[in-house]
Amino acid sequence: MSSDNEYSDQDYYDDEDEDVLLDDAEDESASEMDVDAFDTDYRLSAKGNRKIYEVEYESLSQGDIEKLMKDDVDNVSGIFGVDEDTASLLLRHFEWNKEKLIEKFMDNAAAVNAAAGLSVPEKPHPDRSQSSGVRRSTRQNSADKVKTSSKTKSIIERISPPVEERFVCPICFDDSQTEYLSLSCDHKFCTDCWNAYIASKIKTEAEQWITCMGEDCKIVAPNAFIRKSLKNDSKSWQRFQELLVRHFVSCNQSLKYCPYPSCTYTVSCPSASSKSSLTQIVPIVVCGQSPTHKFCFGCNIDDDHRPVVCGVARLWMQKCQDDSETANWIKSNTKECSKCQSTIEKNGGCNHMTCKKCKYEFCWVCMGPWSEHGTAWYSCNRYDEKASIDARDAQSKSRASLERYLHYYNRWANHEQSAKLSVELYAKTEKKMEEMQMSSDLTWIEVQFMKKAADEVFKCRMTLKWTYAMAYYLDSGNQKELYEDNQRDLERAVEELSELIEQPLDPEVVPSLRQKVTDKTVYVQKRNEIVLEDTAKGFLEGRWSWNVPVEGFD
Amino acid sequence: MDARLRRVNKEIADCKNDKASKVAIDLVDNSPYHLIGSFDGPEDTPYEGGHFKVDIVIPESYPFQPVKMKFITKVYHPNVSSQSGAICLDILKDAWSPVLTLKSTLISLQSLLCSPEPNDPQDAEVAKHYMTSRSSFEETARYWAVTYAGAPRKAGPKDVDGEVAMAGLEKAHVDKFEALGFDRSKVIDVLRRLNYRGANVPKINDDRIVEELLK
Repeated sequence: MSSDNEYSDQDYYDDEDEDVLLDDAEDESASEMDVDAFDTDYRLSAKGNRKIYEVEYESLSQGDIEKLMKDDVDNVSGIFGVDEDTASLLLRHFEWNKEKLIEKFMDNAAAVNAAAGLSVPEKPHPDRSQSSGVRRSTRQNSADKVKTSSKTKSIIERISPPVEERFVCPICFDDSQTEYLSLSCDHKFCTDCWNAYIASKIKTEAEQWITCMGEDCKIVAPNAFIRKSLKNDSKSWQRFQELLVRHFVSCNQSLKYCPYPSCTYTVSCPSASSKSSLTQIVPIVVCGQSPTHKFCFGCNIDDDHRPVVCGVARLWMQKCQDDSETANWIKSNTKECSKCQSTIEKNGGCNHMTCKKCKYEFCWVCMGPWSEHGTAWYSCNRYDEKASIDARDAQSKSRASLERYLHYYNRWANHEQSAKLSVELYAKTEKKMEEMQMSSDLTWIEVQFMKKAADEVFKCRMTLKWTYAMAYYLDSGNQKELYEDNQRDLERAVEELSELIEQPLDPEVVPSLRQKVTDKTVYVQKRNEIVLEDTAKGFLEGRWSWNVPVEGFD
Repeated sequence: MDARLRRVNKEIADCKNDKASKVAIDLVDNSPYHLIGSFDGPEDTPYEGGHFKVDIVIPESYPFQPVKMKFITKVYHPNVSSQSGAICLDILKDAWSPVLTLKSTLISLQSLLCSPEPNDPQDAEVAKHYMTSRSSFEETARYWAVTYAGAPRKAGPKDVDGEVAMAGLEKAHVDKFEALGFDRSKVIDVLRRLNYRGANVPKINDDRIVEELLK
């Protein structure tokens, strides 16, 4: 457990000052609670002295990623002596794995060029004028069979020379068109069709790998060609750039795209790039776009699930989501009518049951027909038969495990609910702060303690919520007891603070309230730190053991 | 005129003019975006002599996105759902190219009937049948073509039971289990599900079937 055992409910006000002084170096905000804003010290702690439950990460804008991509492209284009668009296509084909690309390219440049959609494989090309695909085309890439002799054509698009006989675009059949474009494969189409095709690929298919419109043609459109074809459609071009960035990010293990809608930031977190590291750290990161864009680098839960690691959090979410618990409830609370199989919950009364549906009369205890009970009315003499004892045992076991689950779930849900109501709480707090400024001589800055307290309550409720998910899976033992002690201390403190800021405002006691709330906020903040730190330390030391198999732990 | 309409109109006209390909495209109602295509079953296949109809819906972004096609005529084929007529063909999905036309796509469907791809099935049960016993599969496909696609019945009408042939089973097998006192339709259902055909017959124990029947 922590170094703060001396905290007890009765005397912590007294040794508060002492503690604050002791911990000054660690937590600057404590000594200047009144004037300091949370945001600044949050940033300080993220960059300066990183806490044990935080991970090192870097937020990158789309521009930053584009710069990274450009470095790779320039590098490759320098090595191979090809233009940037070619290098970009090569890298995209090899999922930005430069080493693999260089190795394969040195081995067989022609085959690589063909596979990356840069050049037409040199072999008798099927007659292009006939567009009807008679055979069921296979998706097999013919590139592997290419001979080494095939030469790389320049991939710069060309505008075909004015055609003598009227050329009709084979897609729109519009003979009034005069401008045609083709890739290195020479499949000519009018510019309008190219425009519509590329825009549709980008918008509806979110595709960055855009092949020629010709049937079975594997030639890929380079960036310059796409830029040109899209004409003035800057929205699609922008989206295309975004798709390139997304592709780059998805190929790199230590990068992750911010999951918030329409956010274009990326977070780099090399320490969480391997699966095995996720049993030791909880990589919660925040993207540079907005401090609310907080997500977990290691899993898909878009919530700060500290202190519990991804594997356990996932188990818990699954358990809460699937309705197996509904089934469990039905199992432990109901029985089926032995005649019509209707599900029956007995909520009182004697054992003489009459099914509402089929009017079958039976005994709740032994489930046998009531008529056989003869004279032993209202006391089933079959109660102690082995079969019925077993049935009752199974039922009570399932009931106990259900109750255990509900214990944790209710607390989890409770904190979630309270956190959700925080919007309301903020509004109320806001109002109270105004009231305070009116009724007492406190200035705006001096009433900020209320907002700070509300912030802290919200933050701690998030922590508390996940501590219950963790506690549900923790193996019982001393470690769990210590864990639960920490949890209980935090919970109690949070509830007290929550009560303080929600109680009706009395102008008489504002100064003392301010003192109390400020003290409590500091205390709560410290308790939260302790829970987070101790749990994180536990993960690093491998101190926690689970009552179920968890992915990554042995 | 918008490009999509011009293109579809031209495709319909082209198809009308081209008598050689024996592929037809007809309008369902007045919209050129909902059509019915039809073609004859290819020669030397169980589908020979049949006439197959295909429902065609032209999406908004045609020809840059593929057309939507499904069989209206019931077809017994590994890559066509025997229930809904849905078709598994790469050019109708990611291998689509804007230069493909309704006609060329219908011809591709026709050729799909010639060369099934049981390893990439739409209808797993039919594909299983195809893999275990080609001759039995072809008989069933033929029976379906006769029943649904109007293919002529070949000479020497065998004593076939519609329901049994439809499921691609042997009459003798069905009779055997029916004689045990099971409902005929249930027997057909179970045997079809267990793929009780060709080389599989000796592998499946009678007890196993009875067990299934009793479920």
